[in-house]
Amino acid sequence: MTETRTADVRSDIPAVEVDDVSVRFGAIKALSGVSFTVEPGTIHAVIGPNGAGKSTMFNVLSGVYKATEGQVRFGEHRLDQMRPFQIAGIGVARAFQNIALSATQSVAENLMLGRHHLTKAGFLAAGLRLPRATREGKRHGERVAEIAEFLELGDKLHTPVGVLSYGDQKRVEVARALCTEPRLLLLDEPVAGMNAEETARMAEAIREIRSALGISVVLVEHDMGMVMSLADRVTVLDFGRRIADGTPSEVQRDPEVIRAYLGSGDETAPGAAATGAGATSSDTDGTRS
Amino acid sequence: MTQFLSLLLNGISLGAIYALIALGFVIIFKASEVVSFTQGSLLLLGAYTIARLSKPFGFWLAALAGIAVTALAALIVERLIINRLRGAPVISLAIVTIGVDIILLTELIRRIGSDILNVPHPWGGRSFRIGDVGISQNRLIAIIVAGVLIAVFFAAFKYSSWGVAMRASAEDGETAALMGIRLGRVSALAWIVAGALAAVAATFLVGAPTPGVSPAVYGVALRAFPAAILGGLDSTGGALVGGLLIGLAESFAAGYQDQLLFLGRGFGDVVPYVVMIVVLLVRPSGLFGTKELTRV
Amino acid sequence: MSESTATQTRGATRATRTSTAPRRSPVRLIVMAVVLVLALIAPLYVEEFWLRTGFAVFGAIVGAIGLNLLVGTTGQLSLAHAFFLAVGAITYVYVSGESGGIGIVKLGGLGWPPLVGLILGVLLAGLAGLLFSPIAARLRGIYLGVASLGLVFIGQHLLNTWTSVTGGFNGRAAPKFSLFGFQFANKDPLLFIAGVEFREAERLWYLGLVIALAAYVFARNLLRSRPGRALQTLRDSEVAASVMGVNVQRYKGRVFLVSSMYAGLSGVLYALSIGSIAPESFGLEVSIQYLAMIVLGGLGSVGGAALGALFISAMPLVFQKYADVLPFVGVAGQGGLAAGEAARFLYGFAIILVILFEPAGLAGLARRFRRRGRDPGGGAAAAPEPEPTSRSTTDVPSDRPAQGSST
Repeated sequence: MTETRTADVRSDIPAVEVDDVSVRFGAIKALSGVSFTVEPGTIHAVIGPNGAGKSTMFNVLSGVYKATEGQVRFGEHRLDQMRPFQIAGIGVARAFQNIALSATQSVAENLMLGRHHLTKAGFLAAGLRLPRATREGKRHGERVAEIAEFLELGDKLHTPVGVLSYGDQKRVEVARALCTEPRLLLLDEPVAGMNAEETARMAEAIREIRSALGISVVLVEHDMGMVMSLADRVTVLDFGRRIADGTPSEVQRDPEVIRAYLGSGDETAPGAAATGAGATSSDTDGTRS
Repeated sequence: MTQFLSLLLNGISLGAIYALIALGFVIIFKASEVVSFTQGSLLLLGAYTIARLSKPFGFWLAALAGIAVTALAALIVERLIINRLRGAPVISLAIVTIGVDIILLTELIRRIGSDILNVPHPWGGRSFRIGDVGISQNRLIAIIVAGVLIAVFFAAFKYSSWGVAMRASAEDGETAALMGIRLGRVSALAWIVAGALAAVAATFLVGAPTPGVSPAVYGVALRAFPAAILGGLDSTGGALVGGLLIGLAESFAAGYQDQLLFLGRGFGDVVPYVVMIVVLLVRPSGLFGTKELTRV
Repeated sequence: MSESTATQTRGATRATRTSTAPRRSPVRLIVMAVVLVLALIAPLYVEEFWLRTGFAVFGAIVGAIGLNLLVGTTGQLSLAHAFFLAVGAITYVYVSGESGGIGIVKLGGLGWPPLVGLILGVLLAGLAGLLFSPIAARLRGIYLGVASLGLVFIGQHLLNTWTSVTGGFNGRAAPKFSLFGFQFANKDPLLFIAGVEFREAERLWYLGLVIALAAYVFARNLLRSRPGRALQTLRDSEVAASVMGVNVQRYKGRVFLVSSMYAGLSGVLYALSIGSIAPESFGLEVSIQYLAMIVLGGLGSVGGAALGALFISAMPLVFQKYADVLPFVGVAGQGGLAAGEAARFLYGFAIILVILFEPAGLAGLARRFRRRGRDPGGGAAAAPEPEPTSRSTTDVPSDRPAQGSST
């Protein structure tokens, strides 16, 4: 069952308003007039069959793609007019679907990248090893270690990411996003390719993130069981359009949604999950979403 | 005015030659995502082969042999080295082509030494004149041959199955492979074509008005790189436009050198690079290159 | 490739709440200490040829470390290194040189103290880097490789034509270095240490050693800190870096600037090493030589860059000295290879072989030996060498719609 909004939602987190967003690449319209709102402190899932435009949506939210039309508002900021690093600076973090970590560097070093926009040491200060740079590094290193513990990565802090299991790497992705101290967390298929046990652990972690930090979470996922049990609200995309938006139970019963999934012969339809199949995602990497 | 027209013609002919080299560069990039720095030494290989073989075998056979040898050399590089590095970071691939280039170049320079080898073109050093405006026959034929080759290439690119395969693999290699396209074969063919184009360019480059094969030819060939870049590394049309632009710029800069003395003697040799930098300032992806979809 | 490598991959350790850097390996420290001591006492025992070679190597180390920051750490291919070397060298020669000249060639010169010349050399090279950095910042890594070619040729053109400053085709002499009156020459003052006469070569050796060490330490500090992490992420994925908050264009511009300053410093050292400068010393071949150094050493590794610089820069000098002993080195065109040619073949093969078979270069080899040394059984307990992220593309978004030019 989905949790109701927890009492300790932070007051400094605004809603995310996606307003009539379209994205066109040449002749292809990846998103057409998509609108939805992510209420502060909620877990909001974006689902849809393959090719629906979910990752395109994420890229718009992170500033990686430019919206051809429409706006994305996060409080007073217009995300659609900002560059990705600026968006990170106002507290929007993203964990990537394909692991975008540095394999040869340790977990701690990867996590420290998340602190980039919160720290200031420049080339000169770093090269000369000025005390303020070292102090800053130490301070943030402690915080990073805390976050690593939170995601059960504490004993792997100095392991190179490349030798970790896939599940652990995904946790590092999420941890790194958390290290940016976000107000909005974008999770792009956080349990893709995971087995049932890893999925459950990640779902639990996401729940804890929301309840402990009170931040907003937007989730793209194929695993319907997880989505239904975790999300407060669900937006369904198909062929770049929004075809449903509501609570998980509402969306499950929506005929449009059922047609979109079953019509395309997709076995990960919400309906299938509702019957307790608890499907783990059968389409892992390389899929378009 | 006649000087202007002559320089214009000369620039177009030089540009046509550059376009051939640049086209090879772009073909390799589109087919294998490799920025190949070997075009220069491949060109010199072609020139050297033609020069050496034309005494025993005559010009035409030597030219054909030159094209064959260069294409073969390109294929060897692709099979032995590039193919083994599929999936490696693009920068490693680019650097490895630099390594190949330097080995090939050093060996060729060693053989040529301080000589200037001669290539006996059947059309010699004669000029073709309309009134006072002239152009060497060599360059005139270069324009025609280049034009034909480029047209053939564009047609093949658009309509032949190889062209389709190459465009597909350039856009999305994974899907192309899943659809049955042999990426290795596309890549190998691209290198062969690039080598052949370089050899054809070489044939004309070592004729009038700049006859002779010497290590300096390598430096001339390098100027096709700015042509490819400023047109857009992944645009075959861009290679054509870039080549012409560079050829014209060089021709005019050299022709009006006396008026441009403040820029230093020999500025014509450097003007391709200046033009390239200017274009890149305004258009970081080149004139017709694909702009990045993603923002950083 | 990270500098703080996995020295603790085996055996999970307790989570330390504070440190983000693992324990430094004691073996490494001992080796470095030994090398340092040897370097300090070398001039007392070693003959002049080797000292001069050593100084040239120190200069190359500085340049290689700088190029590595740009190409290895950040993934931006650049062939313009020779240009920035030239800027540094020319600035030094002009600022600290005397005006005058031989015959018809009029040379300008400011005659300022050599230390000023050196500093200005570094700064002007940096300024040149800054001027080019808007391009460097906005080009994709590979485009930069070709675009940077332009700088080398433009640079050589300037060297050949700006005669009053550069001496034109024939070049000009480089003034000897001095530091607050202490001449780095054979006298002024006459100096004897431990019974050994400290002439120019000995003095330059220490100058080079100090500068190379400083360059090395600065780069290592850089890589282990905030900017270093940002740069390494740039290499792996610009999109990921940007999403994580890294201002990609600013960092690409800055690393280009830092790299060009290193090159400027290296250029000054080069001028001191040879005693003169000429346009032919700053051609494309030199850029490629530096590229070979960092590839051989292992892209991304500071120590590797230094090792690569040692091999590649010392090799031609050694070839030349022992030409009669080495079988393949002979007189050009007479069956053997000239020293220069042999060296160039070396660069090419080093690049190809390293990239094909051991992309982590000498640094990677060293790491493997260290790991085997710690675990002589070669057991499975040793963590496998992690694969570096292979694609340095902007390919992070998972769906790529149809795009592109129609041809």
